[in-house]
Amino acid sequence: MSSSIYDHFLFFRESLDDYHDRREKLIKASRDITNISKKTIFLLHRLALEAKDASARISASQAGLKKLHEVQKMYADMKDDLVGDQFWRYQRQVSPGLQEYIEALSFAHFLENGKLVTYEQVQATLCGADGVAYFPLTISDYLLGVSDLTGELMRFAISGFGKPGGRSRALETCNFVRNCKSDFESFTPHVWELHKKQAVTAQSLSKIEDAAYTAVVRTSEYDLPPEMLDDIVNQTVLSYNRNDRKIERGDDNGEEFNEPFH
Amino acid sequence: MDPQTFENLNQMLDHESNIREKIREQVNEFDKKTRTVVGILSKIHSTHSESIPSLIETARPVLHSCSETIADLVSLIPPNQFWRWKDMWCNSLRTAVFAAALSEYLTKGTLISLESTSNMLGIQEKWKDRVHLAVEDYLHGLITMVNELSRLAVNAVILGDFEQPLKISAFVKELFSGFSVLNLKNDTLRRRFDSLKYDMKKIEEVVYDVSLRKLVSKDSPVKPTSSE
Repeated sequence: MSSSIYDHFLFFRESLDDYHDRREKLIKASRDITNISKKTIFLLHRLALEAKDASARISASQAGLKKLHEVQKMYADMKDDLVGDQFWRYQRQVSPGLQEYIEALSFAHFLENGKLVTYEQVQATLCGADGVAYFPLTISDYLLGVSDLTGELMRFAISGFGKPGGRSRALETCNFVRNCKSDFESFTPHVWELHKKQAVTAQSLSKIEDAAYTAVVRTSEYDLPPEMLDDIVNQTVLSYNRNDRKIERGDDNGEEFNEPFH
Repeated sequence: MDPQTFENLNQMLDHESNIREKIREQVNEFDKKTRTVVGILSKIHSTHSESIPSLIETARPVLHSCSETIADLVSLIPPNQFWRWKDMWCNSLRTAVFAAALSEYLTKGTLISLESTSNMLGIQEKWKDRVHLAVEDYLHGLITMVNELSRLAVNAVILGDFEQPLKISAFVKELFSGFSVLNLKNDTLRRRFDSLKYDMKKIEEVVYDVSLRKLVSKDSPVKPTSSE
């Protein structure tokens, strides 16, 4: 091999190796970020479900945001690999984790403010102390990330349905998700992956709508404020639980149940 | 979403699709030119080797004119966004690399370097963050050239030129060992690299046929193709 061709290819090897190494590194980081973000979402669900009032929801949100600092630190570490035009080279590797992070962030934001986190607010969390962005946030990552929020809100609304105030919250959430869906609709021609997300959002929305429907129909039967209805339901649940425990302790009932198996 | 945010996002998205539209127009232009060049170069298969240099000369002006389209392209790309848009034109660019490399080999018998290819297409160093010739695209262009040369080896024999296959064989072997230096991942470059061995096999068979039948005169000088 003539030395010049060899030298050229050695240079190409270096450049390709460098690219592959960075790519791998960013894929790993992106996976870790996805992981932390998913855990944060679970954490938020747990805390939000236990939360009895707005201030408890705010502290749930704070706990989630605190966990997301880990992610922000990881992005700070990644910024050197994503400097200048390099971000666009690795955008496909970075974007899955980023979308998951935005989903978690938007959920925390919703719990605290009842609003959709804005594009600028997300970008602001991805800036160093000097205010310089680690990398430019793409609109498609932002939209795809917040679009996943609707699925979380569906879970939030349905699982909190039986809790005090859950019904009115389901109605609020229903409106919020409906607005999201109609806002995102006009973006879909520009961001093609959004089509699929919109379909999922539509599913989530119809689940919340069903729940909200139930809420309205049932409360309409009683001319009582919703808090009192909650109390009635709660008392029934409590007394049922007490009876239930008595039954568990009782001797005859248990044996009756076991009979078919003997 | 409040109306202002909504409006901002929509404007940003509109701006992006405007850029995309304009790039697409230029890429179409670029594509037309590279297709014309490839059309001219495809005549090498039916041209005697002594007329090939003049055939290549007719392709050169079109190839050079690609630099105008590339300059127009550069003016559309926002700073630092080379990698964002490059997929849109990389096929045309790879074809241009192929044409440049094939022309260089058929006129000088040497491998064109990445820098010379870049210069030939009028790509300037200062455009680095908007348009440059990436290693990957250059290598893709070279592989296309080898694919073409394996056909040329066969067709040269049809035209009665028995030396061409031997020259091609030496050149391609050298290029192949260059590619063997690379650590390729399982991507398109890797798959295309894998295709090289079939080209090598085809060329070897032609060399075998012409040598065995003593169609090449012993004293015909087959020099190592790379003169550097």
